[in-house]
Amino acid sequence: MHPTAGTENADSARRSTRRALLRGGLVVGGAFAVGGGAFGWRAGAATPAPSAATDQQILNFALVLERLQAAFYTAAVDDDALRGELREFAEIVGGHEREHVAFLEKALGSNADSQPTFEFGSATREEKAFLDAAVLLENTGVAAYNGQAANLTKKSLAAAAEIVSVEGRHAAWISDLAGQHPAPRAADPGATADDVAATLQRTGFIKEQ
Amino acid sequence: MTPREEISEPTIDELASTLAEIDADGALQETAEAAFGGTRAAFLQRSLAAAAAAAGGLFAANSADAADVATTKNDIAMLRFDLVLEYLQAGFYTEAERLGALTPKTLGWARVVGAHERAHVVALKRLLGRKTVPSPTFNYGSVTTREQAFIRTAVGFEDLTAALLKWQAPRLDSRSVVAAAITLHSVETRHAAWIRHLIGLQPAARAFDKPASQARMARLIASTNFVSAQPQLAGRSRPRLTG
Amino acid sequence: MRRRKAVAVAFVTATLLTGIVVIQAIRGKAATSERAARAPIADAFAGLPRPPRPAFTVGRPALLDRRESRARFAPVLRRVDARTEPNAEAPPVATVTERTEEGTTNILLVLSEARRQGAAWVHVRLPVLPNNRTGWVPRSALGGYRFVDTHLTVDLNRFTVTLLRDGRPVFRASVGIGRSAWPTPKGDFYIRNRLSGFGDPFYGPIAFGTSARSAVLTDWPGGGFVGIHGTNEPELIPGRISHGCIRLRNDDIVRLARLMPVGTPLTIR
Repeated sequence: MHPTAGTENADSARRSTRRALLRGGLVVGGAFAVGGGAFGWRAGAATPAPSAATDQQILNFALVLERLQAAFYTAAVDDDALRGELREFAEIVGGHEREHVAFLEKALGSNADSQPTFEFGSATREEKAFLDAAVLLENTGVAAYNGQAANLTKKSLAAAAEIVSVEGRHAAWISDLAGQHPAPRAADPGATADDVAATLQRTGFIKEQ
Repeated sequence: MTPREEISEPTIDELASTLAEIDADGALQETAEAAFGGTRAAFLQRSLAAAAAAAGGLFAANSADAADVATTKNDIAMLRFDLVLEYLQAGFYTEAERLGALTPKTLGWARVVGAHERAHVVALKRLLGRKTVPSPTFNYGSVTTREQAFIRTAVGFEDLTAALLKWQAPRLDSRSVVAAAITLHSVETRHAAWIRHLIGLQPAARAFDKPASQARMARLIASTNFVSAQPQLAGRSRPRLTG
Repeated sequence: MRRRKAVAVAFVTATLLTGIVVIQAIRGKAATSERAARAPIADAFAGLPRPPRPAFTVGRPALLDRRESRARFAPVLRRVDARTEPNAEAPPVATVTERTEEGTTNILLVLSEARRQGAAWVHVRLPVLPNNRTGWVPRSALGGYRFVDTHLTVDLNRFTVTLLRDGRPVFRASVGIGRSAWPTPKGDFYIRNRLSGFGDPFYGPIAFGTSARSAVLTDWPGGGFVGIHGTNEPELIPGRISHGCIRLRNDDIVRLARLMPVGTPLTIR
């Protein structure tokens, strides 16, 4: 991830270079991966074969989401503004997301990106704002995993499936609590990383990477 | 990087406890008693055979056929199994809705989820093309008209279909099939959480959901005794009609 | 080296495309103001591969049409007595067998379900005399339900047969019916089986057995079931010509067979 302002260390430089090389590799391979959220899917073979390197990228991507969710629910419980089943949701689901974070951090080891900074404003302090945010985060999580699942190596895919399964449950549960349809579609399409990024950016929850 | 030491199948006990949690009075087992009476033994044999056949184990891939879709034998076998599972679910929810004997909330759930499963059937059949399989004959007994038995069975179906898709995902050869299957998988977990929430069960009991193998699923389907013999409605013998 | 050049080209192009100063990151120099202007998480996700195209997409789910009209039937799994009430102590109406007279699986048209003392019962239309008889059998005596969206109606006054699908006519033909001595029975019945390849031109290429019985020819071999079948005397249609059966011209019965599943309810007026 970006080194924090003014600091440069070997680690971040190495990660940046690795990322750059990966991007370069993609360009050499003929697929322009930068920007262009509108491109959506790429037909079959143009996506790079699963590898430890792409696993690492994807798991770091998942880690941002899981950390965001975990922090969100932890803050919601701490702010003590939720009652009844909503509070129960925040407690239980927060526990799950914290376990997901722990799993991904352990899987990535020293390759895990640094901890971002989050700020949630009224979303952890007001019921309606909480519901809206939680529905968005859970649905986005499902779409994010579904978009990247087939890019993972088999071992990572197996693990990711165990996680997205629970995110799907969370999504249905919170949608029901919010008076929305728990399963609005017959299939949950995967989202591109760019779309997920844009969605998360719009929340304003991520202050710094 | 090894995210998990070993991706292992859940033990029979773990799966049984999933079912037990929602099948406290053995509604799934009850289906067998209720449905088959005196001819149960014969049907048990046939339904096991049908389930095993449906599991893809007995389907000989026609290597002479040009594949309608460029999928491997392995993937086709798994997709066929998925299709049988979707037939089973779609038939179950459709019948429940048509008979209309459940509570409005449960019927409302069955109505929406049935439409999803029917759409899954259509999508899988289209993908399989000439390699598709027809629906087995199902006998749901009185489970489609009894609230508790229906709900317990539905919860079991949804949890276990999702578990199967998790098991299949890393075993599929084609990444585009993985990409497609994974879009169904989260919908099944939504269904599961939704109905659990409806009946006051924990929608998401744990942080990680375990996979369940195809072999286990085949045994489970067989144990419901929902797969039954196909009736013979046509014949070639001379009509014994008045004329 | 080609690789380094390719990377540089990529980054220059990326810069042009996205307007983002990516090279800064490579050199490790933090240009804080530029970085603040840019979405921080986009950087984390920019290198991610695209989702591969799924092998299938799922179409819009179709809810069942609430206006649909469906009948249901079930195969008989074991010989059982049908009773006047959903009660094992109630008097029997008739014995129901597993097979029809032609050896096909016996089926019963289902009218409704009920639960009594924890047991599931089914109200069914019976293929017995007197005609239009119904009774109750345990649900466990029957197999899986099958639903049909068709309904066959015969008008004995107009000598017509009509097939409805979801209430809309999709087939019509002229028919021969029973002579006054052997009238075609009136009432509500259902199609019990389909026979073909039996090699008897009297019945044409296809014959459907119904649950209707001749009230007159009670000693007829096989029980005197009324059927719907083809004929080797098409010139007699329409007319009162048979021993109770409903006869269609052969091309009509073939057409009907393509449209009408076994189990279809049958109304004869």
